[in-house]
Amino acid sequence: MNAVLEIEDLRIGFGPLEAVRGIDLVVERGQTHCLVGESGCGKSVSALSVLRLLPKRARFSAARLAFEGNDIAGLGERGMARLRGDRMAMIFQEPMTSLNPAYTIGSQMIEVLRRHRGASRAAAVDRCIAMLERVGVTAPAMRLGQFPHQLSGGLRQRVMIATALLCEPALLIADEPTTALDVTVQAQFLRLLADIQRQMGLAVLLITHDLGVVARVADRVSVMYAGRIVEHGATGAVFAAPRHPYTRGLLASIPVPGKIPPGGRLGSIPGIVPRIGAGFAGCAFRARCAVAMPACAAPVPEHRLADGHRFACHLGPDGAWSGA
Amino acid sequence: MVGGMNHVIEAIGLSQVFRQRQGLFASARQVMAVDDLSFRVAEGSALGIVGESGCGKSTLARMLLGLLPASAGTLRIGGADLRGMDRRARARLIQPVFQDPMSSLNPRRRIGATIALPLRVQGTGRAECRRAVARMLEEVGLAPEIAARFPNQLSGGQRQRVAIARALIVNPRILICDEPTSALDVSVQAQILNLLMDLRARFKLTLVFISHNLAVVEHIADEVAVMYLGRFVEHSANAEIFAAPRHPYTRALLASVLTPEPGLGLPEMPLGEGSPDPTNIPPGCRFHPRCPLATELCRNQAPPRGAVECHFAASGAGA
Repeated sequence: MNAVLEIEDLRIGFGPLEAVRGIDLVVERGQTHCLVGESGCGKSVSALSVLRLLPKRARFSAARLAFEGNDIAGLGERGMARLRGDRMAMIFQEPMTSLNPAYTIGSQMIEVLRRHRGASRAAAVDRCIAMLERVGVTAPAMRLGQFPHQLSGGLRQRVMIATALLCEPALLIADEPTTALDVTVQAQFLRLLADIQRQMGLAVLLITHDLGVVARVADRVSVMYAGRIVEHGATGAVFAAPRHPYTRGLLASIPVPGKIPPGGRLGSIPGIVPRIGAGFAGCAFRARCAVAMPACAAPVPEHRLADGHRFACHLGPDGAWSGA
Repeated sequence: MVGGMNHVIEAIGLSQVFRQRQGLFASARQVMAVDDLSFRVAEGSALGIVGESGCGKSTLARMLLGLLPASAGTLRIGGADLRGMDRRARARLIQPVFQDPMSSLNPRRRIGATIALPLRVQGTGRAECRRAVARMLEEVGLAPEIAARFPNQLSGGQRQRVAIARALIVNPRILICDEPTSALDVSVQAQILNLLMDLRARFKLTLVFISHNLAVVEHIADEVAVMYLGRFVEHSANAEIFAAPRHPYTRALLASVLTPEPGLGLPEMPLGEGSPDPTNIPPGCRFHPRCPLATELCRNQAPPRGAVECHFAASGAGA
């Protein structure tokens, strides 16, 4: 088994609100797993919970949370602190908020190696320069002396990924890493990430709202809606034959040059993205669903197809009422 | 661009130069945000402007709205010079929709009052305003009771509908949309794009649609201008630009659109590193440091002005 991260029945709540309502997710070595969904669906808190970076007031439980085969659900803060930044690393959307503006790039990168590896300063500097070079940062030695605000957005994102990779992690969690970047820089950054992943055999959990990014980089995709994974499968299978009405709606709502004629109507999902609630009875999507029936208020069955493709809907794989 | 057509926007030699000081004693540097642009927009058409951050597209939007006087050049809106136009007359002609409706709506004013404000400024009475607000809410697909709410009680998509209602209540001829869907979820973006296209037909609007998202621009625009460091490096009909892009930058932008087609993988990006810097525009062709086709000529000499500003546009090299 090559699973780097295994999650079963993850639940996260804030007071009476349920942000994540029982998700299962596996990320394998060398694989990119995309968690896709709209704002408030619970994708970011799910990722944060793996690193145990949730706010204190959050409720958190999981039937299983295993990292490299070891259970980490019961691991204390000291154990987690050893893993974070070492075996598992995370990068965020806006590098400006995760880099400390008051410290140079060098001091922030070197700290990681001194803390996790006990490296000498000189050795740490060499390693940082090598890593910056590897992610395509020009004049790496000079960058170490610079402050975050002196770098462009694309460079900051590269510095952040270099920092995340310093200890050669097994798992990289990337939360909307390219959303703040220009399109050309986004494409360059994703290529870089793919190259590094191949070289290092890195498992990547990528959180995004952009189905274009998902299509081009993901091996497996999990579509999240209102705290649940409503559809999961190999990327090709899900895009070729989306089974959940929400997945179908999302795919129809993006304009694609050459596919949808200019000025033609985009498929859109009526209504608004739900805020996290105090528990949904039945299918959470039914208020916006074009094929909803009264029976959708009942608990939702999950259907399993070939190659791990699964979806949660009252309509079965043949589109008929599954009678659950 | 047929002759004899009525052009509601005419820009001639439009420039915007900012002066920027890097430190207290440093001498000011010039930032050429918009550089000698000339273009026209035909009544009822939609011009899409695409470009990356720092290309000057939002500066151009503010100039079109009359919020920023041009450093040089002339801007005619509806046949009249924007300079010296009365503010109220200008507001009747041209209205904006911005990216983030949370920051463009007054959080302490009820939605009804916000939508009515442009009419109140024009001197319309309260009863008439109330009727107009009710009508506009319906036009943009919002329930009448929304009028009594505050912006923080609405979702992002609803707030953008409010911003559109406020813009259209004075029945303007031109709508300037600056990244109107960039802050929205994809399912909501589709709703707002559909709404804009409906309203454009119903109100016979001329649209200037600014976005970094080429797929969105392709969907909504009749003509597309690709902006790079203050200039339109390529400007032609939508179908032409997407079927046969001629400027290397346009080609790079198009290649970098990640369409939801699995199996295609990630595009090769032959663009050099380094982001465009409007405080330091390169000599010769301004795109040459990132251009895969750049030659000695490109480093020394600016390309001829025209629909495609590239030395190799005619020969189609690298296409």
